[in-house]
Amino acid sequence: MRRQRRGLKLLALILGLSLVAAACGDDDDDEGAAEEGEGAEEEFQQGGEFIDLSAFSQGPAENIDPALSTTVSASQVGESLYDGLTKVDYSDIENPVVRGEAAESWEPNEDGTEWTFTVRDDLFFSDGTQVLPSSFKRSFERSSEPDFAGDYSYLFSFFEGGQEKLDGAADEITGVVADDDEMTLTTTLSAPYANFDAVIGFKLFAPMPEAVEELTDQNEWETMDGGLIGNGPFMLDAPINDQEIVLVPNPEWDGTKYDEELGLPEQPYLDRLTFRVSADQDTAYNAFEAGEGQTATIVAGRVQEAVDNYATTLNDPALGIYYFQINDRDPRVGGEENKLLRQAISQAIDRDEINQAVYEGTRTNATGITPPGIPGFQEGLCDYCEYDPEAAQAAYDEWVDAGNSLAEPLPIQLNADAGHEPVVQIIIDNLDAIGIPATAEAIPSETYFGQLAEGACVICRAGWLADYPTYDNFMFDLFDTSALDGNNYGYSNPEFDELLAEAKATTDADTAADLFQQAEQILLNDDIGTIPINWYLGTVAYNPDEVANLSQTPDFHIVWETVALANP
Amino acid sequence: MTSYIIRRLLQIIPTVFVALSFLFFIFFALPGDPASLIAGGAERTIDPGVMERINARYGLGNSIWAQFGDYWQRTIRWDLGESFLNRRSVNEILGERAVASIRLAIWAVIIEVIVGLCVGLLSAIRRYSWSDKLTTIVTAVASAIPVFVLGFILQWAFAVKPNQWDWPEWARLRTSGIGPNSWTLFFIPTGEQWRYLILPAITLASVTTALLARMTRGSMLEVLRADYMRTARAKGLRERDVVVRHGLRNAMLPVVTLIGLDFGTAIGSAVLTETTFSWPGLGSQIVASVNDRDLPVLLGLTLAVVLAYAFVNLIVDISYAWFDPRIRLGKGEHA
Repeated sequence: MRRQRRGLKLLALILGLSLVAAACGDDDDDEGAAEEGEGAEEEFQQGGEFIDLSAFSQGPAENIDPALSTTVSASQVGESLYDGLTKVDYSDIENPVVRGEAAESWEPNEDGTEWTFTVRDDLFFSDGTQVLPSSFKRSFERSSEPDFAGDYSYLFSFFEGGQEKLDGAADEITGVVADDDEMTLTTTLSAPYANFDAVIGFKLFAPMPEAVEELTDQNEWETMDGGLIGNGPFMLDAPINDQEIVLVPNPEWDGTKYDEELGLPEQPYLDRLTFRVSADQDTAYNAFEAGEGQTATIVAGRVQEAVDNYATTLNDPALGIYYFQINDRDPRVGGEENKLLRQAISQAIDRDEINQAVYEGTRTNATGITPPGIPGFQEGLCDYCEYDPEAAQAAYDEWVDAGNSLAEPLPIQLNADAGHEPVVQIIIDNLDAIGIPATAEAIPSETYFGQLAEGACVICRAGWLADYPTYDNFMFDLFDTSALDGNNYGYSNPEFDELLAEAKATTDADTAADLFQQAEQILLNDDIGTIPINWYLGTVAYNPDEVANLSQTPDFHIVWETVALANP
Repeated sequence: MTSYIIRRLLQIIPTVFVALSFLFFIFFALPGDPASLIAGGAERTIDPGVMERINARYGLGNSIWAQFGDYWQRTIRWDLGESFLNRRSVNEILGERAVASIRLAIWAVIIEVIVGLCVGLLSAIRRYSWSDKLTTIVTAVASAIPVFVLGFILQWAFAVKPNQWDWPEWARLRTSGIGPNSWTLFFIPTGEQWRYLILPAITLASVTTALLARMTRGSMLEVLRADYMRTARAKGLRERDVVVRHGLRNAMLPVVTLIGLDFGTAIGSAVLTETTFSWPGLGSQIVASVNDRDLPVLLGLTLAVVLAYAFVNLIVDISYAWFDPRIRLGKGEHA
């Protein structure tokens, strides 16, 4: 008995020492706990295969090549393969900041027409070749070739000489000059643009290695074996196909070389990242629930189930606005004489009901057009975006008393079979409650925006996801008189246009923000030119037992180089 | 027989020409400008310069007749063109999709034939019994359940719930995808492939199995009443030989016709099953091509479907002669 007791004491001592050793133990060769940069509070384990079912839950991407890709899902891969000059840091959603990735520093001139980027001298593509300023020049020239240019190529008109290149009238973009000796890329813009440092980080402006110059057909870059050589945290493990896209860490990448505030690791935590393609979102979610992947897009009707059983990004704001545009040229709703009618319409809409009934609470009621996360964003710019049926009724009655009337129900355009029918029905019911007759006018999705561009909009459903996180991407691209080829959606105000032009040229961030906000207030309150409904939120569910670290940025991207598995 | 086969093969040419030409012209009758849709016009307004480039790149600015002529000149050389969306070779897309569709269709038809024939035969032999009534109800339900509903139920029952209940790996099936794509002898799954194959094959076979069972039952009931069946029994043959060798064989003509049609449909029109299980087949790709106005892919894959139907029908017609020796195919004889 005494020997047994002694043995037990010894065992207890050994176990106790083991626990202490485990608690105090540091890294060994098998368990690489990578740091997230200065101030990192958590360490994550290296290794494992991650299967994503969220990015391609409705079919494969058309193009992954940054020169050609148009969708958020494609850019999930593109941004894993390529790093641009800059990147927006959304750690503080109230104050997003542009940080340097491939660019060590940058300097605009006084009026924001010339930007000089100093490229870091220790970055490499996955094929071992160095990332140089000429890598960016090469990429810009490639992506602006008239025969190859993709849907976003119009952005090259930002550069002096860019439009001429796109039109085939010039052989190169004269406003982009690369100096590999000085490691500088100097860009001269066709107009002042104070936020250009945020724009240059857009996927279209990713660098390209010399290998692209050997291709006879640039379209082969994304289909050939060994294509899409990039400088990003990952590289392709095999050519892209319609079933899955497999990435492995790029050994030449080192995230700690970038701005330390980005908190990137030296190497991605994952050994392998697979984007699995599904033909149907519900099927993708079923696969997620069956344990066949670690992330999935939350589907309609299963939001509560996702919230109850998994972790989600539903609380993360996204840079997207869902709204209804009013055609100022239409005599039924446009012009100063119908401003009270527009006010009544906006105040009659129960945005809470739409959010709960249609989106199961996964959106945020919009208090303006520009969403949180955009530098310069301000909450509550819109005076008429709160549900107030009494005020709406009063405004409508005043409009009628002034001698106005509606000869027939107001048509509300929407693209058919894309999930907007219940939203429009709620709006019709809300308007009916205060005596405004309205009717839904469904237009086939394939031709919807084309018809709007031809003037079909009266009160038309619209939406916008930011191409890049700047205020003007929501103001200029949607509401400027020159936008959308003459803005046939129907809003035009010279004072608004002037404020935008001034804001874009202002380099002081606070002044620019103030100017953009003034412009937006004109749009929303003085003119009531549009009716914001809601802002998007995050869309991804993941299993917290399997995933140790994951977040979705406001532009719907998951920063894959920081994603880690709980038990790789 | 040989001349019959050659004649039928030659008939495929005008069939393919008429079908694809019709589709070609219908494409341009659809609403929406293909160039606009290629440029992403369903989601945004397009820069006019982009539209111009797309029209020039794909010849969409040319007259319809010019485009028609270009199309057939290439197709005769088996150059099916490039996808408007991603410029992938249509020949390559067709190769991947057709093979996946044929494999799934083979297994769906195997399930359909085995289960449908057995159930139909059983129902006919034991007509008006409780088993006949039960199969009537089951086949009615199976043919009424929408394919995608059945698909989701099977995913839930055999993949989602086993994961939530922590079943061992060997007991779980897969919800979707084509998996490792590993086969032997073209259509026999190897390794883990069967886990990905079984649910879509059952789903695809569900409706057709029910219909085949009903068809077999009806056809067998007619045959069982025939004089030669009484004669066969009178000769002292075993009941099994009477039913299978004499009865079933004579009942097979309408049944094999249905099997042939089902095989053709399973290859080219299994859109819902392919979508529910993310099986990369011809049907779902054709539908996507219509939505995207991707004409080369649409025509190329439809060509494959038309050819599949034509060959399957030929094999069905040839099989008639085997099932019924009175039928002799060829010049001067009726099929």
